[in-house]
Amino acid sequence: MSDYTIIGTRMPRVDSRAKVMGKAKYTADLKLPGMLVGKIKRSPYAHARIVNIDTSKAEALPGVKSVVTGKDTEGVKWGVFPYTRDQQFIQTEKARYIGDEVAGVAAIDEETALRALDLIEVEYEELPAVFDPMEAMASDTELIHQDFPNNVNIHVNIDTGNVDENFEKAHYIREDTFMASEESYFHAEPYAVVAQFDPEDCLEVWCPNGGPHMKSKPLSNAFKIPLHKVKIKKIAIGGAFGGRSEICPADYICSLLAKKTNKPVKIVFTREENTIATRQGHAMITTHKTGVDEGGRVIARDSTCYMDGGAYSSTGPIATSVPFLSMEQAYRIGSVRYNGYRIYTNKPIRGMIRTHGRGFACGVDTQLDMIADHLGIDPVEIRLRNSRQPGDYTNTKSYVSSCAMDETIQKAVEKSGFKEKWGKLPPFHGIGIGTNSVQTGFPMGIRGGSQSFIKFNEDGEATVMSGVVDNGQGNENMVVQIAAEELGLLPEDIHLVNADTETTSSDPGSYSQVSTFVGGQAVKIAAENCRAKLFEVASKVLKVAPEKLAAKNRLIFVKDDPEKSIPIKKVVRISLLNFNSVNAEGGYWPKVDMKREWVKNPYGQMCEAFSFGTTIVEVKVDPDTGQVEVLEATAAQDVGYALNPLVLEGQFEGSIAMGGQGGMLTEYHEWNDGRCINPTMLDYKLPLACDMPKINSIIVESIDPKGPYGAKEAAMSIAMSAAQGYSGAVSNAIGVHMDSFPLTPDKILTAIKVKKAQG
Amino acid sequence: MEKIRITLNVNGRPHEVMIYPNETLLDVLRDQLDMIGSKESCGEGVCGSCTVHMDGKPVRACLTLAMEARGAQIKTVEGLANGDELSDLQQSFIDHGAVQCGFCTPGMLMTADALLKENPNPDENAIRKALSGNICRCTGYAKIVKAVAHAAQPQDHCCDCNPKE
Repeated sequence: MSDYTIIGTRMPRVDSRAKVMGKAKYTADLKLPGMLVGKIKRSPYAHARIVNIDTSKAEALPGVKSVVTGKDTEGVKWGVFPYTRDQQFIQTEKARYIGDEVAGVAAIDEETALRALDLIEVEYEELPAVFDPMEAMASDTELIHQDFPNNVNIHVNIDTGNVDENFEKAHYIREDTFMASEESYFHAEPYAVVAQFDPEDCLEVWCPNGGPHMKSKPLSNAFKIPLHKVKIKKIAIGGAFGGRSEICPADYICSLLAKKTNKPVKIVFTREENTIATRQGHAMITTHKTGVDEGGRVIARDSTCYMDGGAYSSTGPIATSVPFLSMEQAYRIGSVRYNGYRIYTNKPIRGMIRTHGRGFACGVDTQLDMIADHLGIDPVEIRLRNSRQPGDYTNTKSYVSSCAMDETIQKAVEKSGFKEKWGKLPPFHGIGIGTNSVQTGFPMGIRGGSQSFIKFNEDGEATVMSGVVDNGQGNENMVVQIAAEELGLLPEDIHLVNADTETTSSDPGSYSQVSTFVGGQAVKIAAENCRAKLFEVASKVLKVAPEKLAAKNRLIFVKDDPEKSIPIKKVVRISLLNFNSVNAEGGYWPKVDMKREWVKNPYGQMCEAFSFGTTIVEVKVDPDTGQVEVLEATAAQDVGYALNPLVLEGQFEGSIAMGGQGGMLTEYHEWNDGRCINPTMLDYKLPLACDMPKINSIIVESIDPKGPYGAKEAAMSIAMSAAQGYSGAVSNAIGVHMDSFPLTPDKILTAIKVKKAQG
Repeated sequence: MEKIRITLNVNGRPHEVMIYPNETLLDVLRDQLDMIGSKESCGEGVCGSCTVHMDGKPVRACLTLAMEARGAQIKTVEGLANGDELSDLQQSFIDHGAVQCGFCTPGMLMTADALLKENPNPDENAIRKALSGNICRCTGYAKIVKAVAHAAQPQDHCCDCNPKE
């Protein structure tokens, strides 16, 4: 058992009370004096030249306060990387997908704003559009972006050498192709933004975000104003799942309208806008060629993946790499070559999503099962023979210090009864296993670190400042737990100020599973530094060396003689009487290889730790309808150390829902010439309470040497491996290795029919 | 279209409001009465985030005209607690970790509250069925179902149930 008081406990989250009372404020709930309603005019064409925009009729409509087009902008193009700056916030030359931003309106109410949108006359010249990545590469029609030949946005090439030589030596080789459609986030909260300029001409913005500091810099660039004049404000956030990290054109348009009108402006997306005009997941086509030795160990793999990137780069270099990286982390590969291509198409923009790479990962695992079949090895054994081990380096040269992949496999196998069930289940009843691994952070250069400040108030309570943002996953509670533990206070004694670019230092954001590892660590260090100051004062009063002191339950006491103690409040007041305030700072920057770059140099230390997870799923398939009934899902993840099992279980369960139940059975988009025909919750099938199976959550701890208390991240390896577990189970139930995801009833019925016809 | 004057009884209090006949109950609650607890997520009656009670029955405020709510007793998430004292259901949601991003929470609570009023001791299937008109993207529903089940009947074996003194 640990010596911790608050860390490791099932502490209910500090942000829950406001949420159950309906008091928590999300962006759309904000009301500011004189606030106007903003709306965005979007392209009805998938690919069209903008010949002329006439806003005069809209501007003449009573109640309209401002109409903005690309002419009103500074012409700055957005891109996550210097080499991917391809997106204007309001298009001036071309629209590249149905939904691309062409103008914005601010009016006194929604009705007027909507009427004004209709009065904006845009003259388009329609251009040939491409909707399929393979066609887009071969197309000789006008490129979507002139600087990107063949519509190839990003090409990531990784080659560790010896691949061809190892294929020569392989005992068995398979080459298979896997397809997956695009999926969407469907955050509960539709995107919204409120912007105003304050009396000092500072831009204030409220919006759901995966990291406020990731929003302030692009806005500072776009308005050509200093960073300190952009204040991204703290607000409750209704989910992110990877899709709210980047700047959204609406952030800029809303801010521009606020500037033009000198009033606060609010834009709230419709559900359809949230689906088509934020981000989506990438559709992908992946071919894995894998060679194994006699024992089923992978000695060579050559993977090629084509991703449908949509109209703009977004996080393209990252998105093109991560599916490969997760699989090179999860499994040892003797030698590997990867070619990932992200292709522009005239479809909505694709970004990172919690389930990104499901097609790639399901391909790796399905093929492993095929190889295991051929060699007469069971799926568990082939995974254990290839699983990542602590002390390894990945193929792209990241050192893996902590890793309990095997333990996640073994515990999930035991809990699910996999060994007893495999090969012995009745027809159309199956069980499957998937494993995955994620990073605790991406190399982010100068924005990779987090810093925290802590000040004690005279009543003995503390204010903690941290850039860490909470999208719903519980990051605020994580920070409070850490601060309370280290300072010897109770959680209610901590006042948290966070996710505000004016009052908190830079932080990488919740993007890339980094909040605990980096942001939490920064808070821990700040709290340790603050506690040292308290101990310095207390040691003089208690007449013992500071090293002999401990803090718990609002008291500082002598470790060997706990009766000898002094309240923290008293120590603070003594310090103040001696002209010393009690405050401290602490920062953490992960030691990653700063030379590593997604495209130019994809080698070197990626992040300091990786999480590892296994999901095992048991299903029954109805052979007449193709419907899948999921009986049980068992999820085991090496989280490093469980800071809060209650929160962790919630992340595990949510991961099974989004990654497996939705991600592998029902969630995908349908298209008609670039128009998404299921953008709403009525048409896009999200898992419901009645759909979900029993979920067993197994927390595995490896105590990472660098993570705070040994913690890494919470459940992303479950979100990623869930799809593999689900697809493995369905494939096992119907006796066909499925290669097109998600596994909808039509695909399942076809597979059953084909198998029957083949006898 | 002309505005009309109606009275809405919300959480036990009458509110006189001027509305257009086509305004939804959700818009009037949020925009005129500043009751922002009820959320709009899908806007088409699918997700349940805007669920409120009309005469004890859960309804979708985004599909209900404010006019239709005249004369009814309306209860919103703001009416669940007694001042600062949370209802057992609200406390159970906190204790069982049933709240993540919190955007679906108000609607989820209102649906569950109506269920418990009708059936004080529902089994798991009944809870899952009742909640199946409320979409949560974060939790996978497991902790929500448990929170509802244990709200009225705290379980000795549950490490998250907060025994009442």
